[in-house]
Amino acid sequence: MQYEICLIGLNHRTADVEVRELFAVKDSRALEERLLAAPGVREAMVVSTCNRVEVLGVGKAGNDLAGLAAAAWAGHCGREPGELTPHLYVHANLAAVHHLFYVASSLDSMVLGEPQILGQIKQAYRAAVENGSTRVIVNRMLHKAFSVAKRVRTETGIGASAVSISYAAVELAKRIFGDMRGQTAMLIGAGEMAELAAAHLQNAGVSGIMVVNRTLERAEELAKRFSGRAVSFAELITRLPEADIVISSTGSPTAIIRARDVKEVLRKRRNRPMFFIDIAVPRDIDPDINSLDNVYLYDIDDLQEIVEENLAQRQEEAAKAAEIVDLATEKFGHWLASLDLQPTIVDLLSFGENVAKRELKKTLRRLGPDVSPETEQALEILVLSISRKLYHEPLVFLKRRAREQSADKFIDLTRRMFNLDVETVPGDAHLDRVGDDEEGDFPLVGGEDCVSDAPVDKPAAAAAVSTVPTGPTGPLAEDGRD
Amino acid sequence: MNFIKIVEALIAALYFCGAVVNVGGAVAGRKKAVRAGAALTLCGFGMHTGVLCVLIAAQWSTELTRSDFYFSLLAWSLLLIFFLLWWRLNASFLGLVAAPLALILFISSMTLGGTRLPLPPALSGLFFGLHIGALFTAIGLLAMACAAGAAYIVIEHKIKTKEKLSGFFKTLPPLPTFDKMNRLAVAAGFPLYTLGLISGFIWAGFTWGRTFSWDPKEIAAIFIWLLYAFLFHQRVMIGWQGRKTAWMVIWVFGLTIASMLGINFLLPTHHSFKS
Repeated sequence: MQYEICLIGLNHRTADVEVRELFAVKDSRALEERLLAAPGVREAMVVSTCNRVEVLGVGKAGNDLAGLAAAAWAGHCGREPGELTPHLYVHANLAAVHHLFYVASSLDSMVLGEPQILGQIKQAYRAAVENGSTRVIVNRMLHKAFSVAKRVRTETGIGASAVSISYAAVELAKRIFGDMRGQTAMLIGAGEMAELAAAHLQNAGVSGIMVVNRTLERAEELAKRFSGRAVSFAELITRLPEADIVISSTGSPTAIIRARDVKEVLRKRRNRPMFFIDIAVPRDIDPDINSLDNVYLYDIDDLQEIVEENLAQRQEEAAKAAEIVDLATEKFGHWLASLDLQPTIVDLLSFGENVAKRELKKTLRRLGPDVSPETEQALEILVLSISRKLYHEPLVFLKRRAREQSADKFIDLTRRMFNLDVETVPGDAHLDRVGDDEEGDFPLVGGEDCVSDAPVDKPAAAAAVSTVPTGPTGPLAEDGRD
Repeated sequence: MNFIKIVEALIAALYFCGAVVNVGGAVAGRKKAVRAGAALTLCGFGMHTGVLCVLIAAQWSTELTRSDFYFSLLAWSLLLIFFLLWWRLNASFLGLVAAPLALILFISSMTLGGTRLPLPPALSGLFFGLHIGALFTAIGLLAMACAAGAAYIVIEHKIKTKEKLSGFFKTLPPLPTFDKMNRLAVAAGFPLYTLGLISGFIWAGFTWGRTFSWDPKEIAAIFIWLLYAFLFHQRVMIGWQGRKTAWMVIWVFGLTIASMLGINFLLPTHHSFKS
């Protein structure tokens, strides 16, 4: 491969939080520029979050890109590379692509399937694009990463179910009540989990929150936070009919809501359903109420079980997701291979064009000055189209090979067969074709005979590439489809 | 009428494809398939409407004496209610029941052929129309509520016992949606059912000279009406909802179907589909 992709990084598994803090990249733009300044590096992108830092670079092959990237990164953080390397993972080429896809699909996240990372990568990519530090390969890699992540999300159930207790409670409430608007939640006692659940419920659209506490001041304080109402403990049962969802987490040693209270409450509510969430240990709510019609009771163990099941399910879905990632990586490999193929295609077509033009010139000279411009033009079209058609089948063959496996062997064979690298030419005539050229900046193709001839029409050769009919499986056609 | 027969075969084919695609889509969790299935059923429904109109316009007095016509009409009213519910309540999952049920009814109507019903003098047409129209609408509502009730009972049980909702059940709507079907079947279905019964009795008074003749079907209908009335009272007055009302609708619907098929075909009755 002409270019090498390299991805180095550290995450919550390879590095402790202290290390992550040391090597967090606050100014990703500066690091990208520092990396781009290194020899042979063409593209760079940095993603830095509290759980991971990923540094992606694309540069000329054989330049120890990983070492350059690590040095730039350590230097950026004012550290020695030696401090950084023990915590690093290094991925090259397709492994780097695979890692990026894997991370973007949230398969590498601390909580499997949590999608924040995708947003963070999108943000980092946008910044890198604005900074001008990405080009063809990184652009395509990221676009593919986003589409892979989307596929994983829609085609697998990896993000489908709640993996936190408070969120699981909200999901259940939605099942029971459908529309959360117009529902009232009652918070009995305080505690982190209860408050979190209340916040989730409020986000889901619950319209009113009542806060009950043994100390009214505390209740008022909490009620203020959720813009709800404070209710004194003595009023608990009398106000219970107003509540659709009850979250209880008091330190009471005995049950504070008994089954016969709830029976009475249900009658007052005309059997409208109630959902009790008991996250206190020992429990606050008489477990018997679960047997009443239209009453649902979940305690902390029930919710914990749901969360664990959901996590296990995500684990299963992750296998499916990994397949999607593998497939996309393989496809990306084809594209990379076709990138290698591109210069060869151009060279081959230019070679044919040169031969054709040379022969045309000779023929025209022999025919003398009487040839009409029409005939001249017709002849030119004829020879050029013959030269293109001659190379059509070999090109289709090469493209197909490039998709199936590493095409290196065939590319090499083709280049030698047509002497595209002009090996017999002495050093001074040798055109440097592996220079730091841009896409579209095609190297001149030449041979001894060529030198005396008209220079190769570079744009024509480039245009020829696009006019070559591509087989149905050709990489160019595939590009167009994607 | 060969043309009508061809169209009927086409409708049956559309209903069949619609039901298969709809049920398959719902089980596999593909919304597009469910929609496509419903669209096929809707095409069939449109043609069905046309056929019914043609039949009624062309020879309505003879059509009304044919039992196959009533099956066809029941299939049609069931689908009408299904599409209305989908439109108003977004209850697409009912297609799971409505599409296959309509298919079965329609095919039975095709195979039944023209067995005759003793038909009334023209005078009482209004009450007869009311009798059939109101009862069939009520039965359609009951059928939908029955399916929704079954779903309610299963899901409610799963939530109560802390069982995980997975796969197909996860795609179903929350509990209140099912209860809404039940409320509709009770609040609108019961008055319609009552209207159907009363108009039937009035019609019987005109035609047979007796309003009540201890016909097995009439006895069954009164019994079902009592059950239905109890459900109506509990739901509307006491505020019952959820599991109990779901079970009761299932009973009411089950008995209605049993009385329709069992009594009409097996016992000697005025309502017999046999000549």
